[in-house]
Amino acid sequence: MKKSLLALTLSAAGALLFTGCATKTTYVDPNSSRLVTSVGKIDIQDFAQAADAMTQSLITDQISQDKLHSSMAGEPALMAVSRIQNNTGQQLDTDLLVKKIRVALNRTGKVVTSTTMGLGGPEDPLAADQQKAQEFFNDQKHTRLPDYTLSGKIIEVRDHAGSTRQASYVFQLSLSSASGIAVWEDEKTIIKQGSRASVGF
Amino acid sequence: MKTNRLLFLAGLAVAATFLPGCTTTNSVENAQPVAQRQMLADKRATTDASLSRRVAVIGVNTADTPAGFLRVQVQIQNTTRSVQSFTYRIEWFDENGMAINLPTNVSIPKTLEGKETSEIVVIAPTQRAKDFRIKFLEPTN
Repeated sequence: MKKSLLALTLSAAGALLFTGCATKTTYVDPNSSRLVTSVGKIDIQDFAQAADAMTQSLITDQISQDKLHSSMAGEPALMAVSRIQNNTGQQLDTDLLVKKIRVALNRTGKVVTSTTMGLGGPEDPLAADQQKAQEFFNDQKHTRLPDYTLSGKIIEVRDHAGSTRQASYVFQLSLSSASGIAVWEDEKTIIKQGSRASVGF
Repeated sequence: MKTNRLLFLAGLAVAATFLPGCTTTNSVENAQPVAQRQMLADKRATTDASLSRRVAVIGVNTADTPAGFLRVQVQIQNTTRSVQSFTYRIEWFDENGMAINLPTNVSIPKTLEGKETSEIVVIAPTQRAKDFRIKFLEPTN
């Protein structure tokens, strides 16, 4: 009796121990506040925050004031994405910022983005070929040029004081008209502090 | 006598350690503001009483832009004497009450100094957005 009780207790303890040691993986809402925050790099939520701030600024300053004009009557303004410079020490894809802004602007119904015109060639090569074919068959003299271009820069500034590490990420964007004038500009800074070089797994 | 002196010095040391962290805000503004706010009758669902005690929503006002985009301003106040951090998130709804989802719907961190009053100003992402909900959360990291 005593042996069986001991065996049972040991089994229960073993089960609890192994359950506690098991690696638990869960899905996390990308919009939640429970994401891992790293001081040494730009996290996914930082891109979302910066994109949100830039979109809010663009809508407040330009779109909601009907300041963006299209060269084609009845059509939304056409925007092309120009150079978004990465001046940080990290390898990152600037589309993590730009795509969110493009999606938000598209949903306003006031601005659309060209996928056939951009720095570095067309984003969608098939769409570019189709566009050329359509222009040829419709006897169009030239492609519709973008009304605006979006350019910018991401800058990283690192500081430390004692055991406190601080990383500042500055997101700068400009919207230029066809005549090369910046009709909108804004800057968003995200600053993160940690007691040591905190790195997310 | 010695004990009293020791206790007094200990008390001073504790005060010196903790009081510098309690910084409050002084502010100056127009006693008769020119701006007329269109205040909203808001509905509040408080499940985190500790957060609502520390960061209070004073009022919500709205305005429409010339192009018909809804602008919302929420005035909040840190009711404590120390710095408070929290996150907030805005959700937008169209005229049928359907949620409008965007990749920029994100939790945004904010910090208020002691007794500081601040405004959260947001603009609707689309003209279809007619209603909103703002969620306040305590930071988890």
